Amino acid sequence: MTSNRGNKEIFKNRPVLLTFAVFVIIGLGGFVFQLAGQHPERAWQAYLINFLLWSAVAQGGLLFSMVTHLTKARWSKPLQGIAESFAAFFPISFGLFLVLFLGRDHLFPWLGRDLHGKEVWLNLPFLFWRDFFGLLILYGLGFAYLYYALRLKMVPGEPHGVMHRFLHKRWSRGAHDPDRFRAKMSTLSVLYIVAYALVLSLVAFDLVMSMDPHWISTLFGAYSFVKAFYVGLGSLIILAAAVRLSQGEQSGLTSSHFHDLGKLFFAFCLAWADFFYCQFIVIWYANISEETSYIIKRTMLAPWNSLAWTVFIVSFVIPFFILLNRSIKTKLNFMIVLCSVVLAGIWLEHLLLLGPALNPRAVAVPLGPVDGFITLGFLGLMVLSILFFLRLFPALVFGDQREVV
Amino acid sequence: MPARRYVLGSFKGESEATLAIEALKKSSWELDRVHTPFPSHKISEALKGKKSRVGYFTLMGGIIGFLTGFALAVYTAVQWNIIVSGKPVVAWIPFLIVGFEFTILFAVFGNVVGLLTQARLPEFDTLKVYDPRFSGEYFGIVATCDEGEEQKLKDFLTNMGGEVNAFEG
Repeated sequence: MTSNRGNKEIFKNRPVLLTFAVFVIIGLGGFVFQLAGQHPERAWQAYLINFLLWSAVAQGGLLFSMVTHLTKARWSKPLQGIAESFAAFFPISFGLFLVLFLGRDHLFPWLGRDLHGKEVWLNLPFLFWRDFFGLLILYGLGFAYLYYALRLKMVPGEPHGVMHRFLHKRWSRGAHDPDRFRAKMSTLSVLYIVAYALVLSLVAFDLVMSMDPHWISTLFGAYSFVKAFYVGLGSLIILAAAVRLSQGEQSGLTSSHFHDLGKLFFAFCLAWADFFYCQFIVIWYANISEETSYIIKRTMLAPWNSLAWTVFIVSFVIPFFILLNRSIKTKLNFMIVLCSVVLAGIWLEHLLLLGPALNPRAVAVPLGPVDGFITLGFLGLMVLSILFFLRLFPALVFGDQREVV
Repeated sequence: MPARRYVLGSFKGESEATLAIEALKKSSWELDRVHTPFPSHKISEALKGKKSRVGYFTLMGGIIGFLTGFALAVYTAVQWNIIVSGKPVVAWIPFLIVGFEFTILFAVFGNVVGLLTQARLPEFDTLKVYDPRFSGEYFGIVATCDEGEEQKLKDFLTNMGGEVNAFEG
């Protein structure tokens, strides 16, 4: 199987691995440096933003595979394996969540404040335990789906690596029953999708909305998980484009895949903005000061208003007008840049949501080079985990997916 | 000018029809039109037609629609000039919804107008070189040639795997 050997070599590319390993070290260095400096809360703020963003990328990326599996889509077969590789970040995301506990004193402005009855819900042990189990269930379902997805694609032949050999041995004993595996995948997809909506809402309420403990928006959870699918699709485009550029036609990806994926990305750009608007207009109409102060602080008062406009333009206006064009969706280098810009916009959007609560007396947007370094570190973790996964199962990700219909 | 002859080839499969179209494009005969039972990307790619202009009609309809909807909301609000719950009379935030709905409506209108003007409709003499099976399971390819070359064109399409009929031009 020459094609598999070719794939394997690409993911063993040392300079690429080394670059991203250096990114991780830079990120870790930046985080420790900031932590030891005068503003350790800034380190935790960057950590939280990146944890939320990159977890959303992984959760939303895997969701693509499940949604297309459930709808029995055939066009997306070569993309599904690539989308599944985002699940490799799940264990890291879970570990990062546990580390978040260490920064609790810097992260939750409501600690030690009078919450007027909200203490029942907003207290540290309950918050961490419910999010812990939520993420555990979500990632567990994701991995169970991944297990059957890989098993379905099992190809006879030489397995690569310890993990693959172990699974291969296990799978060879049982009967290969594609219909049963597909049915299991469907059940797990439904469960994952339900868990995705519930757990991402919970995390958004607990780790983002609670920072301003007196502000509530019931739509906030839905807004967050739609956003997660938006960034998941954007990252999937970047990864698929990178695979296509490095492997050419061997990847099985054609320009129509990128056209369709681009359309989905465009649709979720609109859906994200729509969820924002739905939330915004009821607050605007009702004009209750508990609700409006959150919006006014972020969109009308300095220093946050300029950040709000930046987010709006970078993550909505620019992709909206560019993606109206049809042929641009198939220009891979361009789409990589566009999706990266959108991801950067969503990073800033997290800062916009969290920043005013964590920096109540800020005169300028708290953003510095160290935030960039920490982000690089998370990017490195994401890329390394995906490369690790692709190295473990090259044949299962890029193999015979077109034959499995 | 010698009379033109129309030769109609009926093909059972999409890929055979695509191959025949590609071969016809390369030959000296003229491809007149293609009938398909369903919209086919393969065939529209093989035809290498000019880019459709319908999209621009849709876009223009959408833009005009947004402005119309927004203007309608502003116009009606200004007629009454009533301040409701402290909101400005011309409040752009809720008017976006009216604008949005009109965008969709007028984009659809633009699309239909574009379709009617760009798809060479209405046309009645298509049916002369037509077979009802093209609404069922067959792909039809109509090619034209000079009178003397009719047999050659027929053989060509038969070779590509089609059933062939000829018509007077």
